[in-house]
Amino acid sequence: MLEVKGLSKDFGGLHVIRDLSLSVTAGERRVILGPNGAGKTTLFHLLAGTLKPSKGEIVLDNQPISAFDAVKRARLGMARSYQKNNLFETLTIRENLMLAAAAALGKSTHMVKDTSKHSDIRQRIDEIAEQVSLQDQLDHTVSAVSYGSRRQLEVGLALAARPKLLLMDEPTSGVGPTMIDQFHRLLEQLPRDITVLIIEHDMDLAFGVADQITVLNFGEKVFEGTPEETRGNATVRDIYLGTGDYHA
Amino acid sequence: MFYQTKLRSITLIAALIFLACYASFGSYFAREIVAEIIILAILAISLDLCAGFGGMVSLCHGAIMGVAAYAFAIMSAKLGWPLFPSALIGLLAAVVFSGLVGWVTARTNGIFFIMATLAFGQMAYTFFFKSRWLGGDDGMGGISRFDLSAIGLETNDSLVFTYLGLVTLLGAYGLTAMVMRSGFGRTLSGIHVNEDRMKALGVNTAAHRAKAMAFSGLIAGLAGLIAAQHTLYISPELLIWTTSGEALIVVILGGLGTLVGPVIGAILLVLMKHEISSYTDYWHAFIGLVLIFTVLAGGRGVFGQMEYWFNHMTKPRHDPDHHQTTSQLRGGDHA
Repeated sequence: MLEVKGLSKDFGGLHVIRDLSLSVTAGERRVILGPNGAGKTTLFHLLAGTLKPSKGEIVLDNQPISAFDAVKRARLGMARSYQKNNLFETLTIRENLMLAAAAALGKSTHMVKDTSKHSDIRQRIDEIAEQVSLQDQLDHTVSAVSYGSRRQLEVGLALAARPKLLLMDEPTSGVGPTMIDQFHRLLEQLPRDITVLIIEHDMDLAFGVADQITVLNFGEKVFEGTPEETRGNATVRDIYLGTGDYHA
Repeated sequence: MFYQTKLRSITLIAALIFLACYASFGSYFAREIVAEIIILAILAISLDLCAGFGGMVSLCHGAIMGVAAYAFAIMSAKLGWPLFPSALIGLLAAVVFSGLVGWVTARTNGIFFIMATLAFGQMAYTFFFKSRWLGGDDGMGGISRFDLSAIGLETNDSLVFTYLGLVTLLGAYGLTAMVMRSGFGRTLSGIHVNEDRMKALGVNTAAHRAKAMAFSGLIAGLAGLIAAQHTLYISPELLIWTTSGEALIVVILGGLGTLVGPVIGAILLVLMKHEISSYTDYWHAFIGLVLIFTVLAGGRGVFGQMEYWFNHMTKPRHDPDHHQTTSQLRGGDHA
């Protein structure tokens, strides 16, 4: 489904991603692990097209997409949620989801019908709001809701696009255990025709949802395997899960 | 985001009735004032679409209006085309010019967008100013009004012309409101609020902004057609950047991002101009003070502020979400 071959990204002399190759099958839940500065978010920027790679190739569904910009990649079914909230702050949650749903349903350029009265769009808004537990806050302005609700909306905006490939950058960063559980359930309930790549720091969640785990360190892939294999691996234990030397 | 609330509908209808009465019961001069208000209001609606919803503060809207007026005048007065096809060419010219400006400036924002549109506007102004064939700075005459005698309307009658102008204003408002409520208009607001996220959702934001400019050109073009038929004479004055500046003043005075605000703003500005100029030559200073007060008082504009108060009055006080209002209640918001 997604093939990454020999991907590198340099910022001047700094090698943030080095010769990274990755193969993700359709429907897979792939968790990307790695300490701070390992290059996880940069990898997402490269996949989504908001950064251009220095070297390497990205293939989505047998189609090379390295030359495509972010808009074109989004239209091919790639959606993304951000580590730092990137929302329509002055609009309501309903309006946020409306924009995402309209874009996904190809209604962004329609000039006649009132989008807020469009039945397909309304239905999609209700579905997504329920999925991310925001149905009671739909008419609240984003800038006035809690941080947790914004994290939920961040995921909701990505889901509203009904993507083939979903890139989630630390969806649970900064939220409490209840919401992490909620999010865990959400991931389990996502249909299997969506392929998911998640950067996640919560280990229970990461090991709970992953089919495969890829571990990055200093821009390189240092390990790849099932959650069980990852748990037992000495290198991973050393650099990431270990005694706290790297992550104190 | 735009919602056609009851308050907006009522205010618009009240404004139109007021203008119709002012024209009906007033003198010939009153009808001239109403025609001036209509032209300025349509131009300001067109600018509000760009500036209020798209965040594109354009200083070439006067030029867009002027391009429509000149194209209409060239086709009808110079080349002898019938009036209706000439008017369509006028609108088309405005759409093409405006879309071109939008296409070139689509990747610029803020001060750079303002400067780029200013440059385009002044280029168009200079072109007509220098053109001898079109009369240069003397402008050109020989323009006629639509012949609607077939449906019993004498457009050379100032009252009939004013009524038709009011109908056009209503049409321009309705068309713009329809588009602002559609996926296109709402996405334009989304681009204004967070362009990056809109791109991540798969929207080609540059093309979208260019199309918004083109549509805005259609509305500004309507103002140009009325301007040409009103005085039966046009000059490069129409295109000069201060015309765009005046439209911007009207939008801010009335309420940015409300569509009704520009109509209220146009009424206030033109009436103030005529009333105050009969007492003093320094009427500009007075309007300047009013504008400064409007901006310092929250920047919502006259209609925007009224809407804000109205929504706060009608919202129940015991509501725990008192400050977290719905989008309808944030009517004066810029997005």
